[in-house]
Amino acid sequence: MTPRVLSLAAVCLASVVVTSGAQSVTLPSRLAPETRAALERVIDSARTIGLPVAPLADRAAEGVLKGADDQRILIAVRTLARELGEARSILGSTNELAVLTATASALHAGASSTELRRLAHPPGNAPDPHTLATAFVTLTDLVAKHISPTAATTAVGELLRRRATDDQFVVLRSEVEQDIRGGVAPEAALTKRIRSHVELLDAVPLGPKVITRPPPPV
Amino acid sequence: MRNDDSLPPGLRRAVDTLREEPEVRQEWMDGVVQAAATQRLEDVASPEVRRWALRPSVAIAAGLMFAALGSGITYAVMRPAPVTTTSPVATDSSARDKAPVRFSLVAPSAVSVTLVGDFNGWNPTAVPMRRSASGDTWEVEIGLAPGRYTYAFVVDGHLARDPSAAESAHDDFGAPSSVLLVKGS
Repeated sequence: MTPRVLSLAAVCLASVVVTSGAQSVTLPSRLAPETRAALERVIDSARTIGLPVAPLADRAAEGVLKGADDQRILIAVRTLARELGEARSILGSTNELAVLTATASALHAGASSTELRRLAHPPGNAPDPHTLATAFVTLTDLVAKHISPTAATTAVGELLRRRATDDQFVVLRSEVEQDIRGGVAPEAALTKRIRSHVELLDAVPLGPKVITRPPPPV
Repeated sequence: MRNDDSLPPGLRRAVDTLREEPEVRQEWMDGVVQAAATQRLEDVASPEVRRWALRPSVAIAAGLMFAALGSGITYAVMRPAPVTTTSPVATDSSARDKAPVRFSLVAPSAVSVTLVGDFNGWNPTAVPMRRSASGDTWEVEIGLAPGRYTYAFVVDGHLARDPSAAESAHDDFGAPSSVLLVKGS
């Protein structure tokens, strides 16, 4: 095989690798051609900077299923692309889809990007990405219960600072929901519940995380 | 098979002339053989002369061209496909440990109920629900990685949120969905 053939084979192989690694998505067929073209440009831009594009296609599909007009769908997808980009900027190098979309959701709910950045990068050890995702999801859901973004951000910040577990965020979320259903004002419910969680966490001395290792094989 | 008999005499002579092999002198053939042998010897003696017959810049340009062409082909092929693939760029490391999640909706008079959400591209045919033995409730169980999902039910063609779950905030389309949180392990 001559060098020329080898060179051509190499460039062809490189092109196959490049194209097979590309993210591919499907847009709903109901969209008008010009909307589809605009959405494809948004998705291509997101792909170029390494953002996940599946959530963008999902948002378009959700809009179609909910009977939204094309303009509204386009705005929603553009907004999500911007929020995912901002989330990437806040989080830094993480590639975890769950925490990226959770951060984008928190931004969408009205949380401040400065505050989210502070929560994601505290002095000392950064929180586990799963816990950070759960914290930001909790924040988003608290805002959905008519709690201000500032109060919700402060609340999850208190728990993150005390190294609360995923379960504690989930419990907080359901407790506040339960209180609101019982007639308590949303922010009053959050204040009461967060206080009890903080007291509980402060009562437990912080120490190094203990990992139980399995016994060595005999 | 030749069929020259039907040709006019003048044209037949021309054809016969063209069929005659031209004379090739021996010194011409010797010259060609000599030249080929000389070139071959030069190639063997200095192989680096031909190593980059395709120059690096040309190879890179060709690679980019192939990549662009390949990308376009892939895009064109994938566009009409009914399957939405997930992004390989944003790593979903939790995809390995999916948890079974059961969805249910009380709808005794419904004829068909399906589940739609972020997890299936809001495809109303992807996850049909089954009527329970009692006949009142529709159920389905799917595996989901840890994360936050928005979802809804399609009941006889109409979108309905889950009355037993939290409502999603800031719906962009004016038709609220429900929110599900799948915890990490």
